[in-house]
Amino acid sequence: MTDISDAADLMTTAREALLRELLPVLPAEHRYSALMIANGMAIAAREHRLGPDAGQSETVRMRNLLAGCALPIPPSNDAHALRRIVCSAIRAGRFDEPASATRLTQALMHTAEAWVAISNPKALRTASQPTGRNEA
Amino acid sequence: MTEQTVHNAPRTDTAAAIARWLCDAAHADRAAITRYEKLPGGAIQDNWSLDATLEGGPWSGAHRWVLRKDATSSVAVSRTRAEEFAILQVAHGAGVRAPRPLFLCRDKSVLNAEFFVMERLPGLAQGHRLTREPALVPDGDALAFALGANLARIHAIRPPRPALGMLAMPANPAVETIAEYRAYLDALDDAHPALEWGLRWCERRAPAAFDITLIHRDYRTGNYLVDQGRLSGVLDWEFAGWGDPREDLGWFTARCWRFNGVEREAGGIAALDPFMQGYESVAGRGISREDLDYWQVMAHLRWAVIALQQAQRHIAGGERSLELALTGRIVHELEYEVLQLIARADR
Repeated sequence: MTDISDAADLMTTAREALLRELLPVLPAEHRYSALMIANGMAIAAREHRLGPDAGQSETVRMRNLLAGCALPIPPSNDAHALRRIVCSAIRAGRFDEPASATRLTQALMHTAEAWVAISNPKALRTASQPTGRNEA
Repeated sequence: MTEQTVHNAPRTDTAAAIARWLCDAAHADRAAITRYEKLPGGAIQDNWSLDATLEGGPWSGAHRWVLRKDATSSVAVSRTRAEEFAILQVAHGAGVRAPRPLFLCRDKSVLNAEFFVMERLPGLAQGHRLTREPALVPDGDALAFALGANLARIHAIRPPRPALGMLAMPANPAVETIAEYRAYLDALDDAHPALEWGLRWCERRAPAAFDITLIHRDYRTGNYLVDQGRLSGVLDWEFAGWGDPREDLGWFTARCWRFNGVEREAGGIAALDPFMQGYESVAGRGISREDLDYWQVMAHLRWAVIALQQAQRHIAGGERSLELALTGRIVHELEYEVLQLIARADR
């Protein structure tokens, strides 16, 4: 806890004011815009809280993936550079073997989950939700 | 109401230009535009409700139409209005439930863009409402059956069709689609490992056998009108072309297009079975679970590529827009769905 509001708290509080005080008095044609603004603010607040961790864990996972396939690991932790290298390795077939394919899918899944938790946590499947296997 | 709508008509010179053109196109002596209003939605195309009263000629009388023209920005894969008009003519002629196309204007001096006029069908298209309000869809199974049958009627249109000679003929739809998405991803600043993995996964499983039909490429909840619980017509033909018909089945059933009905695989309105029964009743064939999974992965990849294109319009295209920015944020959840499907299929 800090003594004063951080960026996430300011964003969350501003969003609450928008939804509680402004939304009810806005003309109907501006409702959609207001909800979009609230959504953007919620994502920004979550990214402020969870983004650094999500980014760091993604970097660690990508380095481990490259090491697991005996691929050279760049010295820098630049996420953009690492993503490019992982993408090239994927396209070159370096993860086609079933064991590395599973490892890759799992690592990417953890990363995707971390970013979905920021962009739209409602889209995450919890254990109680159907996985889709019975949907047909 | 009439006064209000007339009052809302845009600059009279626009209405006058349309009226002059309509007289010619519909062989009328006189045409009066009583309403010309932008319809909501349509990030890529502009749709306008067009009410016109014509005197003389085969169209004499009052009409409620839709005018469709290019919006300021378009995505690369989008067709021209002339092409879309031709496709709609063929589809409508084949008994597909879709707005009847009426007049095409290729003369850009009328509205500064190509446009066409089609009939205005009744109903509501909003996916989040159709999948949440049972009053709008009292019988989801029946609607899903009709949607399946209607899609099969599109897929019954096969090459060659002289009227569709402008459509490219893919040699291998899945392989070409993967190459196209890769080329797009390669042009971006950042790399996207989950999408890259999805493409690799699809490449290694690309179907060897396929047959080419007309496909809609955006046949999904949100793009069809439902009137009194029944299918009124399918809209937005701007991506249609020759392709593998299973692509449309994957797109329609993909989780990303189920809105508030994620448990209902047929577009969030019903289970898969009634939709496929409708499809099979016309097509005489269905799709295996494995193939459907494959094309659902492709569907999420396609939507992710389009979402990235929309995000680029905001980030780099000089079209600052919160809606486009938020569309870009959908990419995370699409990646997540791609990985969920891959994990399930590889299990």
